[in-house]
Amino acid sequence: MDTLLSGQLLFAALVSGSLYALIALGLNLVYGTLRLLNIAHGDLVMIGAYTAFWLFTLLSIPPVVSFFVAAALCALLGWAVYEGMFRRLLANPGLAKRVEANSLILFYGISVILQNLTALAFTSSSRGYQYLDTVITWQGVSMTGNRLLSLGVAGGICIAALLFLRFHLFGWELRAVIQRREAAQIVGVNLNRVQPIIICAGFAIAGIAGVLVSMTEQITPFMGFPFTIIAFVVIIIGGLGNIGAGVLAGLSLGLIETYGVALTSPGYRSILIYGLFVAVLLIRPEGIFTKAVRS
Amino acid sequence: MTDTLLTVHGLNTGYGAVQVLFDVAFGVRAGTVTTLVGANGAGKSTIMKTLAGLVAPRAGSLLYDGREIVGLASHERVDAGLCLIPEGRLVFPGMTVEQNLRLGAVSPKARSGHEEMLAEVYRRFPRLQERRRQLAGLMSGGEQQMLALGRGLMARPRLILMDEPTLGLAPVMVKQVFEIIRELRDAGFTILLAEQNARVALELADHAYLLENGRVGLSGTGQDLLEAPEVRRAYLGM
Repeated sequence: MDTLLSGQLLFAALVSGSLYALIALGLNLVYGTLRLLNIAHGDLVMIGAYTAFWLFTLLSIPPVVSFFVAAALCALLGWAVYEGMFRRLLANPGLAKRVEANSLILFYGISVILQNLTALAFTSSSRGYQYLDTVITWQGVSMTGNRLLSLGVAGGICIAALLFLRFHLFGWELRAVIQRREAAQIVGVNLNRVQPIIICAGFAIAGIAGVLVSMTEQITPFMGFPFTIIAFVVIIIGGLGNIGAGVLAGLSLGLIETYGVALTSPGYRSILIYGLFVAVLLIRPEGIFTKAVRS
Repeated sequence: MTDTLLTVHGLNTGYGAVQVLFDVAFGVRAGTVTTLVGANGAGKSTIMKTLAGLVAPRAGSLLYDGREIVGLASHERVDAGLCLIPEGRLVFPGMTVEQNLRLGAVSPKARSGHEEMLAEVYRRFPRLQERRRQLAGLMSGGEQQMLALGRGLMARPRLILMDEPTLGLAPVMVKQVFEIIRELRDAGFTILLAEQNARVALELADHAYLLENGRVGLSGTGQDLLEAPEVRRAYLGM
C-alpha cells in the first residue's frame, strides 16, 4: 500500500505516460489529417534514438541538442515519403479512398526497410549511453535527471500542441481537416500546405520521442515496433484522429500500466495493456474520450 | 454576355465507370438566382461539386469571371470568390459556432477584415450569435444550415453555390432559407441553387435549368419552367 501511494510510483507513471502520449500524438496527427496508418511510426522513434546515441558517443553532443537534429532528420524523411508517394495518391479522389487501407502495407514495407538498413549499418547489438543519470531526491522522490528531462519535454510538447490546436488558426484548419476533410476544402483550407506540414510534424515528434527513449533504454534496430503498438493502442483508446483525447489516453495508459504492474507483477504488463485495448474495442469502439456529437 | 459570371460548357463528369454529366452547359448571370431542378440522381450535386473543385471533370470548360477554373484547387476557387454551401451542411461538429465561422475566412483574401464580416453574419443570423460558443454538432438541422450559410459568407464570395439547402428541414425553416436566399440576391450576391423543392425554387429563380439524367433538358426563366408541362407533371405533381 505504501508503494502505491508513493510519489515514486506516480513519477514513474507520469514519465511513461507522457512518453506514450507524445509518441501517439505524432501518429494521431498523421492519421487524422492524412488518413495514413503509419505502422513505421515506432521505427522513427528508433531513428531518433540512434541519432542521439551517435551524436553523443562520437561527437559528445548532448540529447538536448540532438532533439533538433532528430526532429529535422525525421521531418525530412516525412517530406520525402509525402512527396515521393502520397502527394499524387491523395490528389486523386479515386486513389485517395484506397490509400488508407493500403498505407498500412506501404508503411509496413518502409518499416522493414528502415529496420534492416539500420541493422546493416549499425549491427543489431544493443547500445546505450549515460546522460544525466545522477539521482536527485526531492520530497522523498528519487528521480534521475534524464527521466525528469523526458517528462518535461514530452509533457511540454503535448501541452504546446494542444494549445496550438485550440488557439491558433492553423490549429483550427487542422481540426477542420480531421473532422471533415471535404468541408475543410470547401471553406478554402489548402490541403497541399496542411498535409506536408503535418506529416513532417508527426515524424519529427516521433524522432524527438526517440531521443527521450535513448536516454534510459537500450537502443536496437528493432526497438521501434513495441512503440508502434503502444501508439496504436493509445489512439484507439482515445479515439482515432481525436488529438486531445489521444494525449489523455497516453497518460492514462502510463498510469494504468505502472500501477497495474505494481499491484500484480511485471509479467502482467502486456495483459494489462492489451486487455484494456480489447475492453475498449468491445465497450466503446469510438474511443473512451470521444464526445457524442451529431454530424 | 458581359454580366455572365459563370459559363459552363460541354461538362462531362463521372465517378469510376459511371458517367453522371453529359455535355452540360449553362450560364449564371451576375446578381441573379439561377436554379437547377431535377430528380434525385439527375446530377445536381455533381455539378456543384465539380464547380467547387471536389470532383474533376472529364471534359468541358468552367469559365468563372472570364477565367478558366478547371485546373484550380478548391482553395484557389474559394479565394477567387466561389463558395459552396454543401449538401448536408457539413459544419465542423466538434468546433464551436464561432470557430466554424472564422474557419470560413481562412482563404487569404477573406482573412483581412473578417471581423467586420463576422459582425455582419451575426447581424444577418442573430441565432448564431446567441449560440456562438455552442458546439456545431449539437445544433438542430436548421441552425446548422444557417451556420453553413454564415460560414460560406465569411469567405466574401461573389458566387454562392447552394446545394440542397432545405434538405431535411422543417417547413418553417424551409421558408426562412428561401427568404434568406432572396435577401442575399438583393444584397448583390449571385446564387446558383440546386433544389429538389422545385416549386419554391422556381418561383424564386430568375433563370432555371431542368436536369434529366445528367443532361440539361429545359431552360428558361423560373416562370417558364413552372409552366412547362414536363416540369408540372414530373416535379410539381400536377
